[in-house]
Amino acid sequence: MIDTRRPLIELRRLHRYFGETRAVDDISFEVYAGEVFGYIGPNGAGKTTSMRILATLDEPTYGDAFVDGFSVVDDPDRVRRRLGFMPDYFGTYENVNVVEYLDFFARAYGLRGKERLRSIDYVMEFTGLDVLANKPVTGLSKGMKQRLCLGRTMIHDPAVLILDEPAAGLDPRARIELREMIAQLAQKGKAVLISSHILTELAEVCDKVAIIETGRLLAVGRVDEISARSETISRVRLRTLGENRPLVNWLAGRSDVADIVIDGKLVMFTHDGGPEQQALLLKEIVESGIAIMEYTSKTKSLEDVFLHVTEGRVQ
Amino acid sequence: MTTALDSPAGQSTVQESLSGIWQRLQGWLLEIVDRANPILVKETRQALKSRQFVVTFLVTLLACWVASFAVVGIAGMDVFYVASGDRMLFVYCAILAFPLMIIVPYTAFRSLASEQEDNTYDLLSITSLTSRQIVTGKLGSAVVQMLVYLSAVSPCIAFSFLLRGVEILTVAVLLGSYVLMSLGLSMLALLAGTLARVRYTQTLMSVLLVIGLAMVFFTSFPTTEDFIRDGYTMIRDGEFWLAYAAVLTFYVTTFLLVHAAASAQIAFPSENRSTPLRRLMILQQACFLGWMAVIPIFEPDPNVLRIVAALVTFFAGIYWYTMGTILTSEWPHLTRRVQRSLPQSTAGRVLLTWFNPGPGTGYMFAIANLTTIALTGLVLVAWNGSVAPAPINPEQAAYFIILGWSYVVIFLGVGRLLISLLRRLLFVSIAAGFLLHAILLLMACGIPQIVFLMSSSLSAGSAYSFIQITNPVWTLYTLLDTGVFSVEGQVLILILPATAVVVLLLNLRSVAAELHYQRRSLPVRVAEDEAQLHPAAVPGPTNPWDAAGEK
Repeated sequence: MIDTRRPLIELRRLHRYFGETRAVDDISFEVYAGEVFGYIGPNGAGKTTSMRILATLDEPTYGDAFVDGFSVVDDPDRVRRRLGFMPDYFGTYENVNVVEYLDFFARAYGLRGKERLRSIDYVMEFTGLDVLANKPVTGLSKGMKQRLCLGRTMIHDPAVLILDEPAAGLDPRARIELREMIAQLAQKGKAVLISSHILTELAEVCDKVAIIETGRLLAVGRVDEISARSETISRVRLRTLGENRPLVNWLAGRSDVADIVIDGKLVMFTHDGGPEQQALLLKEIVESGIAIMEYTSKTKSLEDVFLHVTEGRVQ
Repeated sequence: MTTALDSPAGQSTVQESLSGIWQRLQGWLLEIVDRANPILVKETRQALKSRQFVVTFLVTLLACWVASFAVVGIAGMDVFYVASGDRMLFVYCAILAFPLMIIVPYTAFRSLASEQEDNTYDLLSITSLTSRQIVTGKLGSAVVQMLVYLSAVSPCIAFSFLLRGVEILTVAVLLGSYVLMSLGLSMLALLAGTLARVRYTQTLMSVLLVIGLAMVFFTSFPTTEDFIRDGYTMIRDGEFWLAYAAVLTFYVTTFLLVHAAASAQIAFPSENRSTPLRRLMILQQACFLGWMAVIPIFEPDPNVLRIVAALVTFFAGIYWYTMGTILTSEWPHLTRRVQRSLPQSTAGRVLLTWFNPGPGTGYMFAIANLTTIALTGLVLVAWNGSVAPAPINPEQAAYFIILGWSYVVIFLGVGRLLISLLRRLLFVSIAAGFLLHAILLLMACGIPQIVFLMSSSLSAGSAYSFIQITNPVWTLYTLLDTGVFSVEGQVLILILPATAVVVLLLNLRSVAAELHYQRRSLPVRVAEDEAQLHPAAVPGPTNPWDAAGEK
């Protein structure tokens, strides 16, 4: 029985050091049932390390992580029953076909008799592997292997899914299908923690994101919340009714405006300020007597947020 | 004459009952397979499809056929008149030894190593399978392969029995020993597999394992030959079975210990990995003592008893020193998980604390066990000690036991103190602790040896000198070889036990620190889960009136 008030995933001041390197440095966040939580960061940021700790494959130097209220350090056996982990590599056995592979993991998670057969059937149908049931695992394409790994991850119907770079190397169609599968899993009340480099993929499927760099958590929350919180430079596009020269001259005198580009009737520039400052800017332009036909401020994408929040540091 | 069974109705009844039996049998088989170890099921499926298994099986079968035809062909008509079963059995055993003593154990090692290479080990370790189940599953797979190879050779072995010259009991003991040997080697190979986590240790372990297996394989030939030749008389001698039982006791307890060690290697770090091993060490210790108690029944001669007492204490000293090096290298802090299962009662804390993980408790555990053996040895020495001194006198045996005990207490204690000192500066793993102990012992033996060789005055005479006091091998050998006075035993018997007591006292402070741990209560979430997994039984009525009231 899952208590929805309790976070299914909880990282509490998690630290992991490898000698001098601080792979994970004081990270805390929570993921609730039904949430898809994106974990973003450049290579070597500490995403995989913290995911491995959550999956009970590594131990924190300090701090703790909890899955459905159980400590990954003290009760890894209880955590494992509730968690499905899909690492960023395939783990396939030789001389084993798709059904046998899933059957082995179903048995390994303690499923017996009809319950096991039902789980295998469900997973094969969900991942679309039913047509490849008797195909050797080693002969599967990368996309099919990814599906198989997702199937293995959910074979015991865990409440928590941790997916490390699940979309890496997949073609666009496979990515869309994977995204749909993840959305379906979240609808079923599972907490999904997912890391990816393909930020556009995450933006569409994630309820919340955490941005991590050099082991430190830089931002956590909904994408729009982070965007709003971060003082970013937005790209603004204006179309004037008449000549655009007065607008250009007016803008040139402001310190918060830069990179002015004229494209016919369009004037584009970057503005350093939040939504309130942009509204004030528009008011001042109109009050200065310039007739504005169109005003567009480009909404920041997850990529913009990521690029703004992170500094591209590596350790 | 027709019977009721011949009628159509009778035939259909028989068919129905047969299909019913078949269905029930199928149901039971499915139930067994359903409950079987998942690794055993998966690996059996894999093995039966693997090229290596098929090739080895066919080569074994082919070799047996070729050997059969060759021997029968060479013997010609003599095969009817001359008993040649013993020669045939030896050939078949030599063929069988290859898969059983090399292929099966090496496959067991590779099955764990390849899990790491193929990135499946992580996936396996996060399932609900316990480390014990993983090791047992891998071992089970080795047993299945072993049985398949045995089944390939068994018709040939039956053929050798038909050729006369060998009796069934000899064949049974021989094959049983082969199976036990293969099983034991597979268990050791699995332990080696758990120790090899990274590529270079895997390569090193692989090479060492192949060398070890090849040595066992080649030494099995003369042993098999001797047993086939003398087996008939050997198995009719009571002493053979006594020795076999003693070896079997050692085999079973060591097998269980290695199994527990392999499981501990792959268990998660917060798990209590030490207590199960200590329990098995106690079991092995009890077997040691049991066999010591049996000896006076069969060998009441005090001279023999004295030698046996010294020998058993010697082996126990080596055993507890080796185990002690691992136990004293354990991490001194108990995990919260381990603290949940600490003994609570006074009696439990007094008696069972020594089974808790930790270097201090480990040191005391090893010393306490060795002391028990040493005291038993001294009792055996004292038994009718006035009897003529041959080949070692009672004084020699007693000195040997006391000095041996002192050396183990000193070396383990000093090693433990060094490890705890180093741990203030850097991380010292169990393997590093073990190495530190080994280096300490080597230095204690080697440095006096070098001084002895470099000093012309010392090396001029071969007599024992006090410079060798740190060298247990030299001291104890000289004591046994030339007597108490040649090593100035009266001085040593004061110095070494006194030093041992001092080292023991120096260690007591940190031992006391490990005794402060108290049981931790279960976290609320764990208690909730436990109650859900194992709901408490509803108390039933305790008397007929309660039951009536419920109705």
